[in-house]
Amino acid sequence: MGAVVVSGSRQTRVQGGRTMEEIEADFRKPGKTLLGRLTGIDVLDFWVGPFYVGLWGLITVIGILIGTAFYVNATILNGPYSYPQNFFAGRLEPPPAEVGLAFVPAGAPGFDWQMTMIFATIAFFAWMMRQADICSKLEIGYHVPASFGVVFSAWVTLQWLRPIAMGQWHEGFTLGVMPHLDWISNFGYRYNNFFYNPFHAIGITGLFTSTLLLAMHGSAILSAAQSRNPDVVENLATFWRDSVGYSIGEDGIHRLATLIAAGGILSANLCILFSGWLVQDWVSFWNFWNAFPFWNNV
Amino acid sequence: MSTKEFRLPPERPTTDLNIGGVNGRWGGPLFIEKGFIGKVLTFFGENQIGPLYLGLWGTIAFASGGIFLFIWLLTMASQVGYNPVAFVKYFVVLQLDPPPSSYGLSWPPLEEGGWWLIATFFLTISMLAWTVRLWTRATALGLKPYLAFGYIGALALYFVIYFIRPVIMGSWAEACPHGIKALLDWTNNVSVRYGNFYYNPFHMLSIFFLLGSTLLLSMHGATIWATEKYGAHEEIEEIEAPGTGTERAQLLWRWVMGFNANAYSIHLWAYWFAWLCGVTGAIGLLLSGTLVHDWFQWAIEAKINYPQVLPPDVILPPQ
Repeated sequence: MGAVVVSGSRQTRVQGGRTMEEIEADFRKPGKTLLGRLTGIDVLDFWVGPFYVGLWGLITVIGILIGTAFYVNATILNGPYSYPQNFFAGRLEPPPAEVGLAFVPAGAPGFDWQMTMIFATIAFFAWMMRQADICSKLEIGYHVPASFGVVFSAWVTLQWLRPIAMGQWHEGFTLGVMPHLDWISNFGYRYNNFFYNPFHAIGITGLFTSTLLLAMHGSAILSAAQSRNPDVVENLATFWRDSVGYSIGEDGIHRLATLIAAGGILSANLCILFSGWLVQDWVSFWNFWNAFPFWNNV
Repeated sequence: MSTKEFRLPPERPTTDLNIGGVNGRWGGPLFIEKGFIGKVLTFFGENQIGPLYLGLWGTIAFASGGIFLFIWLLTMASQVGYNPVAFVKYFVVLQLDPPPSSYGLSWPPLEEGGWWLIATFFLTISMLAWTVRLWTRATALGLKPYLAFGYIGALALYFVIYFIRPVIMGSWAEACPHGIKALLDWTNNVSVRYGNFYYNPFHMLSIFFLLGSTLLLSMHGATIWATEKYGAHEEIEEIEAPGTGTERAQLLWRWVMGFNANAYSIHLWAYWFAWLCGVTGAIGLLLSGTLVHDWFQWAIEAKINYPQVLPPDVILPPQ
């Protein structure tokens, strides 16, 4: 299978490349947005500087501005210390446990967290849809919004699915630069030890594999681009076969990259979702291993 | 390129020895086109496996890596009386420990960490030979040895864990044992012992580059996958002469976030993000226990944390 290149694409190559002005003149055209396709009219289909706006861009900006306003007001402007220390140490806690899954009225503890979280969710979702609109305009695949959707699913798992499964917003993620580290550290030890959580292990493996793949791919392209050898693409394939036994190829590495990075995040979603909901202790979780009948007496 | 034709590009003179079959390579190419593996390889676009280059440095790397594996697995098997079922059952919890701290950096008995020292010595030799192998293979094929440079970034962390920091602390017991669970436990304990690594700024940087690398890999991989129908995945050609695929990829990020890399510079971003993950992690570990003993206290003194005050109704248990 591999990549199938549309005929004529390779003939568009220009030695040294075109300027951004020339490229933009070819592509910066209205149309092909989701809103335009549904309603036939899209008054937000325009650019501001290099940024595309669109319906989803407007929703993103509204989400970012309102969410940030709640966050900055609660943690930095009204924090207990100086502004720089509040920036790092500012803490925005979810509502107390007795609130359950109710919405908190203005002024009560947890209201700022709920507002920040809801508007952040709106902003993230709209950002994904805006990427999809841009991909549609450029007539390319939807792999970037799909990948962003995977990381958006991590936010939804943390802030929506798991709190709903646990029956209280209190289980949500504490917001703040240092406090979010506190939250992760505490969460890791709350279910005995996250190092023993197999989905956490697969997620971490996905992160390390992603970093390894990034180093391998980045170094391969840099080393080949700086080579003066005319057969450099073939030499690169030989280099990979020589050193690790397999060369995945120019199209394959980008497919593998997308899948590995997304797979790591999806496993991380499970490791969070199961903790406290289905599994209370990741050490005793492994008791099933020793209890297999075929090695019971070993 | 799933042709059955097998040819090798011309090579430059190399410092390596061509140990092995044809031109130092082990066996011939293997084409897998059928079955599940064949389907997976076809999806990624390359069905050829091997041949693997051996050479002098490859021989040293595989042999000493094999000696490490042999010592590691055999000492662990001895802990369960060489019972194969027990070995499988307890594989993840078995471990080969470094010498206890009472031995410092001196030579311990084999059963009390001596095997760990010997195994780690061969593991280190294997990794150094692998670096030279990556280097000589790249230069022999007319490529810059960037992969070897990148591997040195990961080796920095390895050497801090297993050699530099134990020597500075004066005890091999500081190093990580060999074992699946042991690796996780060591990572957990070294964090807790120095006041929680979450407050270690170099650990923060290392995690930033780890998560940033995953983000960059996802962004780059997805962008090129989305534009491969326009030939954007032929990156060496697209760096010289960008075509419509690269132009669309650049416009995507320019319109999304106001900034775009190009077909060359995205790989600079990639390379340095991944490299810095290992190196900043190495610095963070090197400082722990040598210069900084409590990262939580460090964060309070650096005024990035709130000082922790116990709530008035908390009564501490008697010591």
